[in-house]
Parts: sequence; structure tokens; C-alpha cells
Amino acid sequence: MQEIVTALANGSIYALMALAIGIIYSTTQIINFAHGSVIMIGAMSSYWLLSFAQMNFITAMLLAVLINIVLSIVIYKVSVEKLGDLTNNSRWIVTLFGAGIIIDNTARILFGTEPKAYPYLFDGKVIPIFGSKIMVHEIMMILVAVVIGIVYQIVIQKTNFGRAVRAVSFRPDTSRLMGIRSNHIVLICFAISGAVAAISGALIAPITFASYTMTYSIGIKAFAAALIGGLGNTKGAFIGGISLGLIEEIANMVVPGGLKDAISFLIMIIVIIVLPGGILSAKLFNKGELNAEKV
Amino acid sequence: MPNSLIKANSMQKKYSRIFILFWTALLLISLVLPLFAGDYYTRFISLIFIYIILAIGYNISAGFSGITSFAFAAHYGVGAYVSAVAITRYNMPFLVGLLAGAIASGIVGLAVSLPSSKVKHHYLALISIGLLGIVQQVLNEWQWFTGGSGGMYIPSWNFFNIVLDTFQKYYFIFVIMLFCVVLQRNLLKSRWGRDLIAIKNNEIAAAGVGINFSKYRIAGYFLCSMLAGLAGSVYASFSGYLSPDTFNFEFTVFILLMAVVGGEGTLTGPIIGAVFVTVIPMLFNATPDLKQIVFGALLVILPQIMPAGIAGNIKKYFKEIDNNKYILEKAEQNEFDIARNVTENNTGTVDILVVKGLTKRFGGVTAVDGLDMTIKRGTIHSLIGPNGAGKSTTVNMITGIDKPTEGSIIFNGEEITGNKMFNLTRKGLSRTYQHVRLFNNLSVVENVAIGGRLSYTYSIIDSILRTRKMKKEERKSFHEAMEYLKIIDLEDKANYDPESLSAGQQKLLELARALYMKPELLVLDEPCAGLSETETKEFSKIIKKIRNAGISILLIEHHMDLVMEISDYITVIDYGKKIAEGDPVSVNSNPVVRTAYLGEGA
Repeated sequence: MQEIVTALANGSIYALMALAIGIIYSTTQIINFAHGSVIMIGAMSSYWLLSFAQMNFITAMLLAVLINIVLSIVIYKVSVEKLGDLTNNSRWIVTLFGAGIIIDNTARILFGTEPKAYPYLFDGKVIPIFGSKIMVHEIMMILVAVVIGIVYQIVIQKTNFGRAVRAVSFRPDTSRLMGIRSNHIVLICFAISGAVAAISGALIAPITFASYTMTYSIGIKAFAAALIGGLGNTKGAFIGGISLGLIEEIANMVVPGGLKDAISFLIMIIVIIVLPGGILSAKLFNKGELNAEKV
Repeated sequence: MPNSLIKANSMQKKYSRIFILFWTALLLISLVLPLFAGDYYTRFISLIFIYIILAIGYNISAGFSGITSFAFAAHYGVGAYVSAVAITRYNMPFLVGLLAGAIASGIVGLAVSLPSSKVKHHYLALISIGLLGIVQQVLNEWQWFTGGSGGMYIPSWNFFNIVLDTFQKYYFIFVIMLFCVVLQRNLLKSRWGRDLIAIKNNEIAAAGVGINFSKYRIAGYFLCSMLAGLAGSVYASFSGYLSPDTFNFEFTVFILLMAVVGGEGTLTGPIIGAVFVTVIPMLFNATPDLKQIVFGALLVILPQIMPAGIAGNIKKYFKEIDNNKYILEKAEQNEFDIARNVTENNTGTVDILVVKGLTKRFGGVTAVDGLDMTIKRGTIHSLIGPNGAGKSTTVNMITGIDKPTEGSIIFNGEEITGNKMFNLTRKGLSRTYQHVRLFNNLSVVENVAIGGRLSYTYSIIDSILRTRKMKKEERKSFHEAMEYLKIIDLEDKANYDPESLSAGQQKLLELARALYMKPELLVLDEPCAGLSETETKEFSKIIKKIRNAGISILLIEHHMDLVMEISDYITVIDYGKKIAEGDPVSVNSNPVVRTAYLGEGA
């Protein structure tokens, strides 16, 4: 029982991270390779605000979200905007990767190399459910993730902004002609993605400890979740995230600790070979349509 | 011979002389350097040579074939460890160890390239980060194999029972490096290289000329990871000590930077990049944190302001050096004769293409609905209909880009329903595209020559060794490609970039490429869209010429005058259904057609 809740809790945070990657992917068809760094900054900045500036959790969280929004916008402005047509050149892979390197090393200088113990929500309070002890923090992880997922889905489906996002993701140039400011939409998506990353980073940090290496240890899981579920849709992100959480928990019991991540990556690679578009892939079903449009 | 070609030729000779002099000088300097430089610098330069090998591997993968991978540090590490274990634990000879390292790395590379054959390149970059993580963890955890985080020691090189000193090692590494440089050049200046570049440029057009891009990606990446593994094996024995930390994330950054600084997709890029990136960090020895930030900044900035790197920027001024030398040799060119050049074995069934009940549904929309159509050999068959009638979808199904939902397609008496595009090319079907799809990183003449890639027989070994067979076939192929350029009147632009041509010329170039595939059925998807009146007339003449040579043509076109003038038979579709067919006169007077096109209340 306890293991299942842990798997679900971690899984929903992975889902949240995958969702943030998907938000950018759905409008630009690019993967933000600096996303791991953005998550890390979310965790580190909120940690710093909580422990050194002695803020309460809500204020610290809001500020961290703000910092991440600014950071994401800067990433977009510096390493993506000037590249032009993103579908025909893959230079963004290297520029975004480079942006991540800059952020990581700056964080290492600012926050030091020592991993920090990040406080649990509600001081790590434990409540008994069906005879096993469940941490309230873990329940909050699941709740927050689900709420954000639902809100995002509603925004995309029901609002003008959501329709604009969908239009831009389908045809950026045509959308521009229709009066939608494509660049503006992409910029907003980067900002939302940064905000979601801050929340997910802060929620997972008590479990993993906060340090600049989160980029790699956590960020890579975000990518894995996104790929397993299928890029660019909310349902896929949650399926991917929760599958990854479960896989990890099972791997935890079977293989030695140091190899746990290797198993997750391996499964990710196998999933892509078998199902190129992820478990739930919009691409898989729409493949023909996309091709017909291209030629 | 056109004047511009002669001029370019003299430029090429001049430039080649400069470059040959330069490279010879560099070679000589490298040869005598260890005699003057001390032990430290000899080791340092040996290390640069190793990085050049690694950078060549990455360059072929990312620069030429468009597979951006972050896993090269992992391949390098696998090569290093496997060769080290082979040499120390299993007492294998040194050279066998090198080979084992390279092969192991190639096999690990399959973990990246197998998924890569199915998905787009940016997925691949993600998978490769995952692979980097796996290899890191395995190196740290697999104690009995790697010695874990404590690292492992490798005895000094033992080459046929002679223990090499620093100077001998230098020359040994130098030879391996030279081999890799030559390998890169010869491979990329052959049909294999052109095929890889074509895949990077335009996947669909690459499939259109018969390239099975999944296979090429797997093979190409296998070779690249083997080169990285080779570099790693050499490094293992060279340094004498291995630790998992050597092959981490920061090393990946280092590799990327070599390619970005030197110039991705250029032959000399890896050499320039390796030298620069090894020297730059020496400035930051005191502040390692700052070094990483500067590296990151370079990765962000350089691709935006200098996408082709240092080598690319130098190359801009010496463009002529890359000119194809075969096309100048032929003093007297044969007059192009379409019957001789194109039709080789054009004797199949009379009904060259039979389409039965062809249906395609996209979700709820039925784009093509039960279409029947028969194309007779040696005719121009036009497929017309209002916008959105399903013409392009039909053509995409016939040429294997889309899979039909239902129905069958029989080509030359053979069922081809659902065949992949690159297989159809082999069977004698070629096409042009509504939106021009040329290979922009290849010259005009190479764009035509790639159409004839199926006629090559020389092997990968032939191209690495530049055998006579390879040269003979290349020469023949380019001579013939020039003849094709002649009919479309572009021979004097043979060495230009396709992007510098006008829209009409680009369409013609695509036609020449399709013709050089020597098809039995040529599918033209709106060949005259965007062409001027005179260009259209020119085009119709060429189309007729092709038909008269016995090639069947399936034409989609909106210029009604053109269609009515040159077609032998017309099929009209609307809303995915056939509404009329017959010869131009009867279709022209058909009331149903007039309603569909003009909305007359017939």
C-alpha cells in the first residue's frame, strides 16, 4: 500500500514535469532540453526562500514560480527565438542544451554542491490509511498534479487562449495570418511550462534532496515520462508519469539502488522502439493525416 | 562547355593547390613535432588527435546524417572500458582490444539507432541522454567489470611485445587519426555520403529516390559510435587510468562544442574544433566553474551566429574547391536522347497501373472514396478535380507515402498496395512533389545524380579505398547527370546550390532527378504550379518528349489548357469520388465536370 502511494505520488510529479515539456512541444514541436535545469531552479530557489529568507511556503512558492517564469522566457528569447523555422533545422537541440549547462553551473556556484534537505509539506505529517502510514505530503503531490492537469486541460479545450495554442501547434504561419501572435503564444507556453516546473520541482525535492544535480537525476525522468506517455498531450503525460513511477518502485525492489534509473531508461528505450509515439500517442493515430499535410 | 564551368575549374585548380600545400605543411609539422616538443606537449597533442577521431564520429552522425546524439561520451566510455578489460583481464593483444572496444561501442550505439529509425531526430537526442545516464551508472556500479568509481589501471601499450614510449604512441595515434580523416572524406564524397546528406535534408524526397532511411540511420550511427569507441579504446591505453567521471555530462558538452566550433557537416570541422576546444579550457584552469558556463554560452551563441562553424565560414570563400571534377572531363557531350537515356526495360503489361476501390479515411473524413482508375502504358493520364478533391492523397497512396485504408494498387501486374516509397522506386515508379523537395546541401548536378543511385554497384569498401571501379561509376553517373541537366538547360549551373535557382528551375531540376531514376511511370504532382506562361509551355514540351520516349505519366495539374492539350486520358474526381473519365474532348464537354468546376446549374 505504502509503495503504491509512493509510486503514484512520484508518478504524478513526473507527469507534471512531462506535462510542462508537452506544453512547449505542442506549440513548437521542440523539446526543451533545458527543462531539467528549470525544474532544478524551481526547487533550489524555493528552498533558498524557505530556509534562508524564512518565508512561508505559499509566498516562497509564488516567488519561485515567478523566478521560473522569467527564467523560461529568457531561455526562449536567448536560445530559441532567433533560430527561425524550428522544424527544418535542429540547432535548437544544441542551443537549449547549452542553456541548461549555463543554468546548472550558475546554480552550482550560487547554491553550492551540498545536497540540501528540503522540508516536507505539513512537516512530514503521517496519517494512517488502511493500516499503513501515508505521508500527507505524498497525497498533496497527487492532488496538486491532478488539479494542475485538469485546469490545463480545461484551459486548452475551452478558452480562447487554448484554441490559439492548438491553432499555433497545427499551423504556425497560418495562425499568424489569422491574427494570432504565434511568437506571443509560444512565449506564454514557455512561461506556463516554467511555472509548472517550479511546482513540480518543489514537490519532489523533499524526496530527492535539493541540489544542482537534480537537473540530471530528475530532469531525465521528466523526459522519460514524456516519451513513454507520448509527447504533447495531457493524458499521455499522466499515463507516462504514473507508469514511470510504478516501474521505478518495482525496479527498486528488484535491482540494486544504483541501477534503478538505468532500468527506467531502458524501459523508455524499449517503449520507443515498440511504440514510437508513446503509450498513448496522438501521433500514432494521426500519422497519415500529418503526412498528407506535408507533401 | 559552358563558360562558367571552365572558370570554376581554373579556380578549383588554384584553390586545390593552396589547400594541398597547407595540408602538406600541417602533416609535416605533425610528423616532426615530437622531436622538438617535450614530453608534456607530445602527450597533449596525442590527446588532440584522439579527440579528432571522436569529433569525426560525432560529425558524421550529427553534421552529415542529422542524428544529434548526446551519447558520444557514453560510446567513448564503452570503447575505453571494453578495450581496457579485454587487454588487462583477458590478456588480449592490444590491437584486438582496440577492435573489441570499437565493436562494443557500436553495439551500444544500436540502443540509440534502433529507436531512431522509427522516430524523429529530437526523440533521439532524448534517448541518447538516457543512454548516457545508463552507461554512467553501469560504469559506477558494475564493480567487477569496471572497478567502480575507484577506476582501473591499464598497463602501458604492448605492441608485438614492444612497449611503446610517448613518442611511439604519438605516431601510432597519428596514423589512426589520419586513417579516420581519410575515411571520413572518402566515405562522404561517395554515394553513401550523398545518401546520408540527402536523408538529413529531406526525408521524404530521400525515400523518393529509393533510400531506405531507417536502414541508413542504423548503419550510419553504428559506424559513428564505432569511431567514438575506437577513440575511447585508444584513450584507455594512452592514459593508463580510467575513471567513470571522465565520461560524464561535461564530456558530452566538450564533444558538442568541438562540432559546433569547428563546423558541423564540414570535413575539416572536427580537426579545427578539436584543436580549439582543447586549447580554450587551458585559459580557465583556475576557474573550472566558469569554464562550463563559457562552454554553455558558446553552445547557445555559436549555432545562432555561425551555424557552419569556423570551417564553414572559411569554406564560403573557397566554394569552388568542392566542384565536381568529373563533369568537366567530357569534352564532347552526347546530345541528350531520351529514348536512349531513359527507357531501358519498358516492356510490361499494357495497363501499367490499375487502381481498384482505393479508399483513404482520415478520422471521420473520407478523402478518397472507392476510386477506380487504369493507366495505359505510354500515355499521359491526367487526374484533375477541384481543390480538396483527393488528388494529392491518391498520388500519395500510389507512391507509398500514405497507406490506403481499403482497395488495391497494381503496378506492372504486381500488387504494390501499402509498399513503402523506397521500394517502389526500385520497381520503376518515380515522382515529383507539389512543393519542391530538393536536397539543398547537395549541388545541382548531385541532385540529379542521386536519382541514379540505384545503378551504382560499388561497395562501401570501394568508396573508402577509392578504387577504380568506384571512380568509373561515379564518372559515368555524373556524365549522364549532365546530359539530363542539358535538357532542362541548367548545365552551366551544375555546381550551384539548388536554393539559388528560380522556382521554375527547381521544378525542372526535380523533374530531371525523377527522370534519372529511369521510371516506367512518372508521377507529376502539379508540376506547373507557380510557373510562368513560357515556363509552362517549356514544361509541356518536355512532358510530351518523355511520353514519346515510352514513359507513362500520371499528371495532376490545375492549368486546364495544359491538361487538355497534352493529356491522352483524363480522370476527374470530386469529393474523393470519380465523377467522369475519358479523352480530353469528352471530359471537356461533360456537364457533370462543368458543374463541379464552375458550379453551373446543369
